[in-house]
Amino acid sequence: MPGVRSGGDTPLWRAVVVFRLAALAYAGALILGTYHTYAHPSGGLVVLALMAGWTGLMTLASRFAWGRCWPLLAGDLAVAAALTLSSLWVQTYQQSHGGSVTLTTSWGAAPVLGAAVRGGPWAGAAAAGLLGSSTIATRQGITVSTAGSVVLLFLAGTVSGYVVRLVVRAERQLSAAARLEAATRERERLARGIHDGVLQVLTLVQRRGAELGGEVAELARLAGEQEVALRGLVAAPTPAEAGADPAGDGPAGDGPVDLCGLLAAERSSHVTLSTPASPVPLAPHAARELAAAVRAALDNVVRHAGASARAWVLVEDLGDEVVVSVRDDGPGIPPGRLDRAAAEGRLGVALSMRGRVRDLGGTVGVHSAPGEGTEVELRIPRAATR
Amino acid sequence: MTGAGASTIRVMVVDDHPIWREGVARDLTEAGFAVVATAGDGAAAVRIAAAARPEVVLMDLQLPGRSGVDATRAILAADPAARVLVLSASGEDADVLQAVKAGATGYLVKSASRDELVAAVRRAARGDAVFSPGLAGLVLGEFRRIAAGPDGTGPRLTEREIEILRLVAKGLSARQIADRLVLSHRTVQNHVQNTLSKLQLHNRVELTRYAIEQGLDADP
Repeated sequence: MPGVRSGGDTPLWRAVVVFRLAALAYAGALILGTYHTYAHPSGGLVVLALMAGWTGLMTLASRFAWGRCWPLLAGDLAVAAALTLSSLWVQTYQQSHGGSVTLTTSWGAAPVLGAAVRGGPWAGAAAAGLLGSSTIATRQGITVSTAGSVVLLFLAGTVSGYVVRLVVRAERQLSAAARLEAATRERERLARGIHDGVLQVLTLVQRRGAELGGEVAELARLAGEQEVALRGLVAAPTPAEAGADPAGDGPAGDGPVDLCGLLAAERSSHVTLSTPASPVPLAPHAARELAAAVRAALDNVVRHAGASARAWVLVEDLGDEVVVSVRDDGPGIPPGRLDRAAAEGRLGVALSMRGRVRDLGGTVGVHSAPGEGTEVELRIPRAATR
Repeated sequence: MTGAGASTIRVMVVDDHPIWREGVARDLTEAGFAVVATAGDGAAAVRIAAAARPEVVLMDLQLPGRSGVDATRAILAADPAARVLVLSASGEDADVLQAVKAGATGYLVKSASRDELVAAVRRAARGDAVFSPGLAGLVLGEFRRIAAGPDGTGPRLTEREIEILRLVAKGLSARQIADRLVLSHRTVQNHVQNTLSKLQLHNRVELTRYAIEQGLDADP
């Protein structure tokens, strides 16, 4: 049955064993007290012996996986039903029809509990139906007390099955949380090690090399890029930390997303990212589209100002709107050239950026002058993105 | 290679990585500064600073034991005339903001060049704020967070200060900002300095209010 595993339900199997022993004691007391009044007194003792033997077997079996499997549970059900039906032969006609209890009494409910633990509420209900029928057959009709005990059987089966489901789900969430915590701790340990050693050396190589110039400066630049990339890697939050449901039950990614987290990967030796210290939450779609627009703007910088141009990205959260500015120190755009480029259809990247921002209800402003670089300002209203 | 008078500036370097620490110390010595002490963790930094009395402390924030933010606070409490310049990796935003609120006079990323480092130490020694684009973004964000808070009594930035911080965050130098806004270089520096002073004053007020609320203030 899906969703039910062994392991976390061991205490529940133990509870079934305890119930079975207690019910055996009760049934034993009743039989020993009244067996001399039965139509077949020795038959009553035989039934009691069989109940005791089966209880012992099931108690031992419940410790092992095979003791919790369906064939044995079906056998358990059959034994309980058969011993209940034996009341017809053992007890007198008056006893059978006079409202006195069956030989097995509540002992017969143990397989119902077992089925519920193994298979959940529906399996519990099915087992209760089977044993309920045998009880009704034994009493050869439905009386108030038979009806009562059948209803109790159904309740026991469904309720304990439901509780088992809850326990199993809670256990799974707990182990998922524990795994997540272990993974986080391991990443923190790695991050500390990398920070203390590798990153420091890479930063130093970058600085020293840049001063030496020539080919060494090129190596230094590569070291610097790796430093930024590695730092981003060890600092990046896991999906769970970024707000996904740790148990994995809910659909991931429908909560607000931190725009700064999405943009952190853009940091490089050429790109400086400035953000508030606290997250800038946006609806997931808006955050992804805005980040894509920022990437398009940075692509534009490389395309028009060259790979050596530096760029600065500033993220501001004004409450009712989020503003991202992308500035470069390139040659800038002479007045009129933007319009000319648009007329010649050479604004592909810029247009995709404008399209994304406009779809979010925002605006794009471009300020540029020769010698002053180019600045693109993306404004997204927050209300429209919810 | 350096201007006259630099030799009088006493500097201390705090970083837990020896190679980095020695490298920076050598750069500063070559540039004419007196590196009077180095330390590898926060507790040692506080202890050694009390004896060596540096004018400028270059402080890494990720230190074993006592944090760089905590050490910054303790060093400035013992010697309010000292200047702490945070020299840290990019992306440690929350810590940088805490250090600046605790009184650090500025922030420089570790990937800054030697010339930038030397210029920054000199500016810090003069008492000027040292702003990187990243720090400007953090300070802008912090003032907006304070303004959005429950009590509207926190400090506000003037329109001019916001304008200047935004330009700093977008990578313009103080000289470029002065040219663009038709201000003197000194005026731009003063505006930047003011934003930091407001933030640090607000932080002290908040700490005091918290102490009084918790009953930690000394009996009269």
